[in-house]
Amino acid sequence: MSATEHPAVPEALLMMRGITKRFPGVLALDGVDFEVRSAEVHAMMGENGAGKSTLVKILSGVYHLDRGEIRLAGQLAQIGDPRAAQRQGIAIIHQELNQVPELRAFENFFLGREKRTRLGSVDERTMRQETTEWLGRLGLELDPNRPLRELRVAERQLLEIAKGMSLQARIMVMDEPTTALNAEEVAQLFQVVDRLRQSGMGIVYISHRIDEIFRIADRVTVLRDGRLVGTKPISEINRDSLIKMMVGRELRDLYPTSKRQPGRAVLEVQDLSVASMPGRRELHGASLSVRAGEIVGLGGLLGSGRTELLEAVFAVPARKRVRGTIRIDGHEVQLSSPRQAIRAGISFVTEDRKGQSLVLVRSVGENASLAALHRFALGPLLRLRKEAQEVQGMVRDLRIKTPSLETPAASLSGGNQQKVALAKFLLLDTRVLLLDEPTQGIDVGAKAEIYALIDGLAQRGVAVLLASSDMPELLALCDRIYVMCEGRVSGEVQRQAATQERILDFATRFTHLPQFHGERPQMARSQP
Amino acid sequence: MTSPSIAVPVAAPARKRGRLLEKALRFQGYLGLVIVLVIGAVFSPTKDGVNLFLDLTNQMNVLRYVAETGIIAVGMTMVILIGEIDLSVGSLLALVATLTAHLLARAGYSTAPTILLALLVGAAVGCTNGVIVAGLRIPSFVTTLAMMTFARGLVRVVFGGLAIPLLPHSLGGTAADSAFFFAGKVSFIPVPALVMLVMAVITGLLLRFTPFGRHVYAVGGNAVASRLSGVRVELTRVAVFTACGVLTALAALIHGIQLNQGAPNDGITYELNAIAAVVIGGTALQGGIGSIAGSIAGAWMLGLIDNSLNLNNINSDVQLLVKGALIVAAVSLQRLQRRS
Amino acid sequence: MRVLKAILAAVVLTASLAPGLASAKQYVIGFSQLGFDHPWRVAMNNQIAAEVKKYPEFKLIITNGQNDNSKQVADVENLLQQKVDLLIISPNEAAPLTAVVKKVYDAGIPVIVLDRGVLGDAYTMFIGGDNKLIGEKAGEFVAKWCGDQKRSPCNVFEITGLSGSPPAQDRASGFREGLVKNASAKVISSVTSEWQKEKALPAAAAVFQAHKDIDVVYGHNDDSAEGAYIAARNAGLDLKKMLFLGIDGLPDPTGSIVSVMQGRLGASFVYPTGGAEGVDWAYKILVKGEKPPKKVVLGTDEIYPSNAKEKCAKYECKMN
Repeated sequence: MSATEHPAVPEALLMMRGITKRFPGVLALDGVDFEVRSAEVHAMMGENGAGKSTLVKILSGVYHLDRGEIRLAGQLAQIGDPRAAQRQGIAIIHQELNQVPELRAFENFFLGREKRTRLGSVDERTMRQETTEWLGRLGLELDPNRPLRELRVAERQLLEIAKGMSLQARIMVMDEPTTALNAEEVAQLFQVVDRLRQSGMGIVYISHRIDEIFRIADRVTVLRDGRLVGTKPISEINRDSLIKMMVGRELRDLYPTSKRQPGRAVLEVQDLSVASMPGRRELHGASLSVRAGEIVGLGGLLGSGRTELLEAVFAVPARKRVRGTIRIDGHEVQLSSPRQAIRAGISFVTEDRKGQSLVLVRSVGENASLAALHRFALGPLLRLRKEAQEVQGMVRDLRIKTPSLETPAASLSGGNQQKVALAKFLLLDTRVLLLDEPTQGIDVGAKAEIYALIDGLAQRGVAVLLASSDMPELLALCDRIYVMCEGRVSGEVQRQAATQERILDFATRFTHLPQFHGERPQMARSQP
Repeated sequence: MTSPSIAVPVAAPARKRGRLLEKALRFQGYLGLVIVLVIGAVFSPTKDGVNLFLDLTNQMNVLRYVAETGIIAVGMTMVILIGEIDLSVGSLLALVATLTAHLLARAGYSTAPTILLALLVGAAVGCTNGVIVAGLRIPSFVTTLAMMTFARGLVRVVFGGLAIPLLPHSLGGTAADSAFFFAGKVSFIPVPALVMLVMAVITGLLLRFTPFGRHVYAVGGNAVASRLSGVRVELTRVAVFTACGVLTALAALIHGIQLNQGAPNDGITYELNAIAAVVIGGTALQGGIGSIAGSIAGAWMLGLIDNSLNLNNINSDVQLLVKGALIVAAVSLQRLQRRS
Repeated sequence: MRVLKAILAAVVLTASLAPGLASAKQYVIGFSQLGFDHPWRVAMNNQIAAEVKKYPEFKLIITNGQNDNSKQVADVENLLQQKVDLLIISPNEAAPLTAVVKKVYDAGIPVIVLDRGVLGDAYTMFIGGDNKLIGEKAGEFVAKWCGDQKRSPCNVFEITGLSGSPPAQDRASGFREGLVKNASAKVISSVTSEWQKEKALPAAAAVFQAHKDIDVVYGHNDDSAEGAYIAARNAGLDLKKMLFLGIDGLPDPTGSIVSVMQGRLGASFVYPTGGAEGVDWAYKILVKGEKPPKKVVLGTDEIYPSNAKEKCAKYECKMN
């Protein structure tokens, strides 16, 4: 595809009108209109569960629409399956790329459409040449022989985009493309997107990251609860109005600004050391304290030991590996298992909610009550009604969006899953709440709710220790921030004196980092 | 809490409709059983206007003879629910059945202490399995495979290679008559079937209405998350294996008493029958999903297939083909229902 | 002192030589059994072991092939390595075991094949029963019984062994040839229990459900007939009017000799294991240097209520 000037009147490459899709118990899309023009980047935004992925799946042929019509370049289109979508010029770059790590780059590029020589054998030379060519058009130099697993995510993504181009795609959908990219790679991606736009392609760009949308998109469409809220040129909106469209109300304060009076120290950690284990950073003599009603942050670079510290307080590693003292309400506690930690009043919401917080195959209700079953036990039996009442109450209070308590936890969106993970511990009498990246991968609306919850808990006297790589989150929420570096607590910053620079300073205190052409080392995720 | 308000989730009418559909889907897991019943009835010979397959006596016979598999399947369901497997049940059955015959017929024990000892041995073997799996962290496949060999060897070494006859006084034997209650009937229901039903109900209630039951499902679904939620994962594992051992011992008691002998060579491939029943019944091999009722339905279905083929005098080679095909068909249907 | 030492040395020397002087040469008999999990096989093992005890010159090694051809081949290789003086083998299947048996035979070691054969003739002798003959005798017995009982028609329910296995096929075909002697006797149902009592129970229960008028139950082995007996008892059938018979004739507590004495089975035909004969022939070959016939067909013995006690004594049966 050569770079041509796009015509003065933008043609509608894709027109979706009145799209409705129903699943058992849920109306996923209700009469949604969506249109993509040639040579535009059209962003699609909305909270998790708003219907974005359902719409994309209909476009890519994975689902069939119940009602509505799709027109491609003016003609009515039937998209029966992913192959049909591909044939009609629609390419999807999924968040989890559909690639085979063991195969080489050019093999992935031609997956399912391998070129053959006249003798019938596989023509590797031609495939390699063409792969290099297409990548070159995106400005990427890459050895097509390299196995896919050696490539970085950014490179794999560009390979996928080039593949879409080579399939004569006119519409390309990119689903959260920047989640795993650093700032430099994001810039590179945007250059490529620009190039694609100039060549006349219509790009659908799905992302939570508002800053990026303002950088790259021409128009933005917002979905909420399966309905279209509106489509606007980027020039006509600003950040606040965009958030309002997404969430349905003024989100004046993403972060709660309450006044809290911290009480006495609830959690005191002294000289906590944990021996090293494969895949885990060792802790050296960490000390900190959290008072009742305080929200204390735990900052630091990736791999500095924040998770390990929280795990050590929650008695996750084997006792023999842990040294140091932990005090709750002034009394020293010897904890040998998470079970004992829970009984001592400590709760831990982990970073990996799917892997460590939730039993995905079980229902929302069962997950919520799992840690608190002893509260609902009468002898050996469970008092099901009491359990249902309390769990239902929690679902209501936390505004967890779920068709019912029996829905499997796997069906919930990320934000709602995180709320269930929180609910688990809120059913207990928690004194100390440990949180590890609580808002990772969660949309703006849900984030605000979770912040409000945390604040509410602190107001009730819970001592909160919050590990996060989201700088604005730390700076806005926390009364104090401890910073970790290489398994040690390297510094403590009070709210008034807290800035990104000071935190970064402490975070790199014990390391010697080369200069990065002005780019900061990996710590903060992009702004929400 | 100063939380802002968010729109209410799904509209009320849709929620009610969804729940009805969920309930219907839950019972479609037994579709395979219904299909086998229908096919069996359709192809059944009739005599004097009575459909021999559906005849009460026949159905009670089927239940009588699947009871052993069914009881073991109850224990096996729990093991598979926590994501493990127990291959030693067949050998354990032989061990306890032979022990039972020895105690009742040769050593002159009365019924109650025999039952007690049998269950104790079952518990001991099951507990050993559980401790090795949970404590030494050796995969259950390997552990129970080793126990399968060990137990088989043990019964041969202790009791020799020969079967021990087990006949009550009333039939000319040396064992207490009361033990043979387990081979008899209560009204028209064979006692083995009754025992299977009782154990299934007790275990089913346990899984649904106790914290322990929740722990079983949670550990099977995600052991790490369970541990981080305060569940005693290792203890749950040991308890489940022990329960499986006790239930197998119960099945072994019934086996020996029904068969009038305890033989060191009994029970070979019983573990596969039990696992088949559990899997057909809808319990996932990875754990976390499944039910006791499903396993009983699975065991019953297997028995019905055998019964139907025997009633129709079908050549045994063809029997294998038909049984294999029917099992795959029944399970596929269940999977399809679940996926939609 | 020195004289004392010399006497002591002489005594010790003589004593150490004495056993060697007193006894004859020691022979090691290797017995490769195909599997241990069937009572009939166990009986074969026991009979061989018991017979070996009668010969002080003999030492016995038994291996368990675990019903697996490859395992049994490995067992025989093992025995060859140990340089046994004679090999007795009951092979799992003919073709897979032929090569290794030939290897032993070609190495000059006598080979006695029991019960199941190998291909070709690279072995010293074969000892086995004749399943067809036994089946025929069983059929004739049933034909006569039907006539004596004046049953017309006389309905026979057959429980077969593992279908496709030679013994099952022979016992089935032989039986039908013997049954022909009485035109009113017919096999109306035939199901398999794969030689197992456990499987015979539900299979027989189904057949008794389908046919309310069974007169005779013929099991290819005693265990199956016993299983059918229990099923019949559970079904409330009139056991006195029926005849249950089987094949094997084992003397152990759950075997048919005891069963016939206790009135459950009406007849049983001994299928000899050939174990004792094998050991006896081994003695003749190794110690007496006799040349054996290539094939010895063992006869059968019949056990009826009238002669059960006598047979029990003959076979040293155990009551419990």
